[in-house]
Amino acid sequence: MSRRLHIEVFRYNPLDPESKPHMQSFYVNEYDSMTLFIALNIIRDQHDPTLQFDFCCRAGICGSCGMVINGRPGLACHTQTKDLPEHIVLHPLPVFKLIGDLSVDTGVWFRDAGTRIEAWVHNDHDSFDPTQEEARMENALANEIFELDRCVECGCCIAACGTARMRTDFLGAASIARVARFYLDPRDERNVENYYEVIGNDQGVFGCMGLLACEDVCPKHIPLQDQLGIMRRMLALHSVKGILPKALIEKLAHKGCCHENHKS
Amino acid sequence: MNSSTITLHAPAKTKTQGRLDVLQMISGVLLILFLWAHMLLVSSVIIGPGVMNAIAWFFEETYMAQVGGPLIGLLIFVHFLLAARKMPWKTSESEAFIKHSVMMKHRDTWMWLAQVATALIILVMAFIHMWVVLTDLPITAVKSAARIQHGGWLPFYLVLLPIAESHVGIGFYRIGVKYGVITADNRNWYKRKEYALMGGFIVIGLITLVRFMYLPLYSGM
Amino acid sequence: MQIFYTDLLCIGAGLAGERVAVEAAKAGFDATCLSIVPPRRSHSSAAQGGMQAALGNCVMGEGDSPDIHFEDTVKGSDWGCDQEVARIFADTAPIVMREVAHWGVPWNRVEHGPATYYKGGKPFEAAESKEKHGLIHARAFGGTAKWRTCYTADGTGRSVLNTLDSMCLRYNVNIHDRTQAEALIHDGENCIGAIVRCLRTGELMAYFATATLIATGGYGRIYKATTNAVICDGGGQIAALDTGIVPLGNMEAIQFHPTGTVPTDILVTEGCRGDGGTLLDVNEYRFMPDYEPEKAELASRDVVSRRMQEHMAKGHGVKSPYGDHLWLDIRHLGEKHITTKLREVYDICTSFLGVNPISDLIPVRPTQHYSMGGVRTNKDGAAYGLSGLFSAGEAACWDMHGFNRLGGNSLAETVVAGRYVGKKVVEFLKGHSVDFKQSALRDAHAKIEERIKRLSGSSGKESAIVLRDEMQDIMMDYVGIFRNGKDLQTAVDKLEELHARSMNIGLQGKAIGFNPEISLALRIPGMIKLAQCTAFGALQRTESRGAHTREDHPERNDKDWLNRTLAYWKDGDSLPTLKYEDASPYFEIPPGERGYGGGKIIHADIPAEKLHVPESNASDNAASAEDTK
Ligand SMILES: Cc1cc2nc3c(=O)[nH]c(=O)nc-3n(C[C@H](O)[C@H](O)[C@H](O)COP(=O)(O)OP(=O)(O)OC[C@H]3O[C@@H](n4cnc5c(N)ncnc54)[C@H](O)[C@@H]3O)c2cc1C
Ligand code: HEM
Ligand code: SF4
Ligand code: SF4
Ligand code: FES
Repeated sequence: MSRRLHIEVFRYNPLDPESKPHMQSFYVNEYDSMTLFIALNIIRDQHDPTLQFDFCCRAGICGSCGMVINGRPGLACHTQTKDLPEHIVLHPLPVFKLIGDLSVDTGVWFRDAGTRIEAWVHNDHDSFDPTQEEARMENALANEIFELDRCVECGCCIAACGTARMRTDFLGAASIARVARFYLDPRDERNVENYYEVIGNDQGVFGCMGLLACEDVCPKHIPLQDQLGIMRRMLALHSVKGILPKALIEKLAHKGCCHENHKS
Repeated sequence: MNSSTITLHAPAKTKTQGRLDVLQMISGVLLILFLWAHMLLVSSVIIGPGVMNAIAWFFEETYMAQVGGPLIGLLIFVHFLLAARKMPWKTSESEAFIKHSVMMKHRDTWMWLAQVATALIILVMAFIHMWVVLTDLPITAVKSAARIQHGGWLPFYLVLLPIAESHVGIGFYRIGVKYGVITADNRNWYKRKEYALMGGFIVIGLITLVRFMYLPLYSGM
Repeated sequence: MQIFYTDLLCIGAGLAGERVAVEAAKAGFDATCLSIVPPRRSHSSAAQGGMQAALGNCVMGEGDSPDIHFEDTVKGSDWGCDQEVARIFADTAPIVMREVAHWGVPWNRVEHGPATYYKGGKPFEAAESKEKHGLIHARAFGGTAKWRTCYTADGTGRSVLNTLDSMCLRYNVNIHDRTQAEALIHDGENCIGAIVRCLRTGELMAYFATATLIATGGYGRIYKATTNAVICDGGGQIAALDTGIVPLGNMEAIQFHPTGTVPTDILVTEGCRGDGGTLLDVNEYRFMPDYEPEKAELASRDVVSRRMQEHMAKGHGVKSPYGDHLWLDIRHLGEKHITTKLREVYDICTSFLGVNPISDLIPVRPTQHYSMGGVRTNKDGAAYGLSGLFSAGEAACWDMHGFNRLGGNSLAETVVAGRYVGKKVVEFLKGHSVDFKQSALRDAHAKIEERIKRLSGSSGKESAIVLRDEMQDIMMDYVGIFRNGKDLQTAVDKLEELHARSMNIGLQGKAIGFNPEISLALRIPGMIKLAQCTAFGALQRTESRGAHTREDHPERNDKDWLNRTLAYWKDGDSLPTLKYEDASPYFEIPPGERGYGGGKIIHADIPAEKLHVPESNASDNAASAEDTK
């Protein structure tokens, strides 16, 4: 062990008129079990206290620390230096607004996306009756919803998406999977028509070009590829309702997903 | 739609974008089927020029070539229009995408770029090819062989063949992905199949070309 | 300077902050949440286990009721909690679990038929009932009589936080993320907002608010080894303490977890030991049976933590660049068990430690985990000392946890208190209009601006980074799991010195706009104060109760210490002023044996009228601190 790591970091402070985007090199001794979280903190503590980066949970659960690590978006806190070559190059995530150095504004981006797709359960919230037992649900369905709720909004899938890089208004895989989460949820009273209104366009499902970089980088292994496919097929079929025979649409719509009993 | 275009009209609900997506997919599928069929028909020359001539004769007698040919041309054009919606026409877009592919070193991302690049080449070459073939009916093995042996068309086909096949191969895989037929579970399987298919057709195509090169021009007529 | 006006200002957008904001927004008020990070990154998202609520749906929870939950909570607190509050909590928890289910939380559900569960590492069979099929399921957690921890797989915090955040979106709660509250705006009677630093630009901003809520979570970062997120630095508690009139309650009550991993202190579950994992020292010798012959590794959280600390102090720890640690050994459980039943542990080890638990030992050490103390509030969540100031969640000392909180109770507290306090905040908003005094704003702003100026000037010689490290070391070494008068006195002395040095911090690097070093430099003096409240409170409390363990005072002393510490910090002082109030207004369950943990109890004479629930316990108990000492 005990390599001397050469960590090259993108530096730019947009608020400083003197600052120009450039790469800066730091050298850090590697220890056992070292992660990029530790390495970057050593750099900040010992070399440059002005270095900007975002960490919060440092356990891969909060999604703060997405950055481009040797060309691939990933979570810095759960990247171990021993899995990387001696020369490590770090960039901030593209697509999102740069705050400074490695820090980007994913929060505002996701909030905006959430507003566009109306990311909440659409039901009558006031109808909640504290004296009644909860509406029942199959455990398998609950697990399936949770599977999509695990997204930490780290933005890696967005930054890895060629479409999102070309087209700033593309909602990206995480948002589409979020809609899929509500589509699965029987508590959400929206129908297919309603979902079509929010993502049935080139900023949504039809904008995706199937590059699958999202699927390949997602640190939480959210089933993005499958959900993108299911949603696209479902909404594409919806758009040709009345043109294609109904039986055919029904047959194609539910292939490979658990939405059989879903309202349409 | 955004807050500045919303001022122009009361926003109508529209299903256009979904339908265009479906049309693009259908045009793609039809072209895949066409190209594979076309490849098989042409490669019949490997068995013997007689077989190819007979097939060509059949298509012409039934006017499928005369009508079908331009229809395919039209289909290619329609497909082009639909797919062009997704192409990075602006320099800013293509630059962003190229930089992105370089950064990511991600094969599926590169493949899309390959598809766009091949598309532009096909756009030109496919129409030249169709013009040449369809303005010089009937189609016969000897005529094709003559073009290849003396007309300088060999390099043309050596370019068009792999380019068309890769465009179609990638397109086939991506339609599967986009519409959820290819899932995370079977993706690798399909990817292997796609490469095999692409490779297979290119090999068949090459053998066909070789056959044309060595086809005696004055016999069998 | 930019000035915002809002009805409710929530400092913090974790579960507690967002739940209160939703309540106010639903009632038609303008609610604004501040957060250092986007709300969904708040540390609530890290809680995996679950939330306790006596729904009694699962077979192992049959016959459960809020009464039993209440009893478990009081025992867990070692009778240090406010029983009125614990009662409100236990009674409301089931409703709140159903409410968030209605809003979209995908709770795991009961599946009827036989199921295999684990208890003490051994599998057993139980049959879930048909009538309960599809209702909210529950799992086991330490210190409870019934299985009542509602959960969504291994991501309860994540899914509940997502749901609450979606409600904020739904009800148009303003979210201002990447902001950090630095000081409260108040005139000595009313709290009317906060001075806030923007973490994008470094600018100061002001928020005027009719009601202000502190929901900033724990302050674990005063310790070096903590399972808390790096943003859990006690910003809210510091702002409250800095007013000089708002007290913090029970700051010495700190919970440690035996198995935080080294180097990054990520928690691995108790299930490892439950299923048969053992603890080894530097010689790979299993030492726990020497200390606890009967229970060995399966003794309670605080006992195991204490023994580990003791063993390391004897020099049997494993040395590493990240400090001493011990080993957790689960290799003998086998690949299948580790990759299925303990999959989460497997994932943490492989992706964060680079250790494969099937063939390697896991480096662990006792790690700070939870702060029971915080901004002292009455049962309505209103802070002492200032009208219009509220607090909820881990930041608050609402005080249902006393000196030890049960696993699964804190996550539940955030939403239960959030709902309850939220309703009280709405009542307050309906009944109040405040005068947004510009002079109060100017005072608060000037103080912070002045501090930033001083930092950027060239006079300061101390490094914030060095002070932080020293503070964290002091806390680890002298205010850890085992405490004694001598160590605590050392800590208090050293922290006093640090406090003085912290007045003299200078920046190491310069940056225009946002400078992360300023964030730390602004925070450190306050964190040292929190550390001092903890150390000084612990020094004064000459008994052992719950997580507070004094070697020199091993008995629980109900006669003298059945009370709550209130720490005030007067401007210019170098030590907090401690006052005390009764632990509980009355004792529905009189102080007694916990039934685990052992230890001697010095009994108190509690007046008879305090031993039952008063007729009119709805009456507002005024929030005045009584000096019992
Ligand atoms: C690893 C781990 C696992 C846990 N597991 C469980 C469990 O299974 N069951 C259980 O019951 N409990 C568990 N807990 C405890 C529980 O998660 C916390 O007590 C609870 O989530 C705290 O919620 P909160 O809303 O009070 O604070 P947090 O969720 O911590 O939110 C604090 C908010 O305040 C903001 N903030 C902080 N300072 C400032 C400032 N100065 N200005 C502006 N905003 C600020 C932050 O950005 C954040 O939005 C666990 C804790 C940890 C660390
Ligand atoms: C006229 C020139 C052509 C152009 C400009 C063109 C362009 C494109 C582009 C840009 C795409 C990608 C679209 C996207 O990612 O959404 C595409 C996809 C595709 N192309 Fe072409 N192409 C042409 C000709 C052809 C021909 C001749 C064939 C087959 C014989 C073909 C078959 C396909 C297929 C199957 C797809 C996948 C369709 C989809 O993803 O929906 N193309 N084409
Ligand atoms: S889908 Fe995956 S990559 Fe995308 S934001 Fe969510 S967790 Fe990150
Ligand atoms: S599959 Fe779609 S969303 Fe994912 S990277 Fe590709 S284009 Fe982007
Ligand atoms: S810091 Fe939370 S995911 Fe990396």
